[in-house]
Amino acid sequence: MFKAIMLYCSRSKEGDKLCSVEDCNPGTGVYLRHGYIYSSLAGYVLRKNEGEELPVISVVRETEAQLLPDVGAIVTCKVTSINPRFAKVHILYVGSTPLKDRFRGTIRKEDVRATEKDKVETYKSFRPGDIVLAKVISLGDVQSNYLLTTAENELGVVVAHSEAGAQMVPISWCEMQCPRTQSKEFRKVARVQPEYLQA
Amino acid sequence: MVSGLKEKVGEVLLPGDEFCFEAEDTISLTEQVKPEKVVCGPGLRRSGDRLLVCKSGVLRHKQPNTFWIDSQQRRYVPVKGESVVGIVTAKSGDVFKVDFGGSEQASLSYLAFEGATKRNRPNVQVGDLVFAQFLIANKDMEPELVCIDGSGRANGMGVLAGGGLLFRVSLGLVRRLLAPHSKIESDLKQLFPCELVVGMNGRVWVHSCSVQQTLIIANLLQSCDTMTAAQRRELFRRVQQGVL
Repeated sequence: MFKAIMLYCSRSKEGDKLCSVEDCNPGTGVYLRHGYIYSSLAGYVLRKNEGEELPVISVVRETEAQLLPDVGAIVTCKVTSINPRFAKVHILYVGSTPLKDRFRGTIRKEDVRATEKDKVETYKSFRPGDIVLAKVISLGDVQSNYLLTTAENELGVVVAHSEAGAQMVPISWCEMQCPRTQSKEFRKVARVQPEYLQA
Repeated sequence: MVSGLKEKVGEVLLPGDEFCFEAEDTISLTEQVKPEKVVCGPGLRRSGDRLLVCKSGVLRHKQPNTFWIDSQQRRYVPVKGESVVGIVTAKSGDVFKVDFGGSEQASLSYLAFEGATKRNRPNVQVGDLVFAQFLIANKDMEPELVCIDGSGRANGMGVLAGGGLLFRVSLGLVRRLLAPHSKIESDLKQLFPCELVVGMNGRVWVHSCSVQQTLIIANLLQSCDTMTAAQRRELFRRVQQGVL
């Protein structure tokens, strides 16, 4: 669809004057100044014809648009390290689309559960290597990561491996069992809706 | 399988030895079949329907059905709840870094002492010896020590002051010293009066009336690691008589 509508794709750097406001409408990655459209990113210029209206001009970093996690989006992430105060994760999927780059996220100790927030032990909720479903609560500043939460029944650990190496089976909202050694481990388990489970 | 395990109690086992659940040839119809329960201690691991040995050592048994492998190990692995003797290496903000002989240093908060508040800081300097127990000890997080128990009392923990000598012994000797009704401990009591702090990380702190007695006790403990009970009693008897 992009190829049918876009007229040409040329490179631009930040500050490049693209055209005047009378020729095109501004889109993403551009800004207006003194009646002219300037680019605010270094990337490719896209001009989209939308019928009778003026074409929309925008500058994108790559030809395909990147889906960014937004506040309130459900993301799938992998735990990389844990700390008594928070757990650091890498965000892999936003909804059901995989991300090209791995964004970093943080799940604070008080955002793990909705009830009894002060009695949460990070070691009994997550372990490094777990795959977790979480929701974005804040995009964070320049230096800090995305802030995530698992304080809902449907959020939490989905896939986890036991210390023996086998994939564990959830037995309650706070425990998972290894099928090989029958040992139980504590996790904050997500209650996945039955229609999302594949047999 | 319990009978198979009981036969091997006291024998040296190597990693890779396994015990299988053997089905009986004849199942009695009149007697009730009781399910056998086996409690696996350190060194034993269940894998499916077999019991695997993970460490090399001697198989020990405790009534009614607990089995474990008694192994010698040089490196101490922190376990939650164990008391260790550590050396304070750094003071960073509100936290002390303590070296206890493990793979990384543990953190000890200055509020984790008896009677410590934000205004009343404990008197701990770099290089001090502390006797503390693990609050957090697992392979994924930095270990954390505290010098108080659950109710906020010191219970013998804290800074070890007043001289004394810190020395290293093997982990096996430490377990033998701390076992209930320990014979080494009772033999040692009859020698000299002394203050003895034993850490599960293989570090022992001794403080006696004079420097000479402290050194004697330190040398005795380090040497009786590899002795049999009879040799050890003989050695203690000679020391008591003042020959050494």
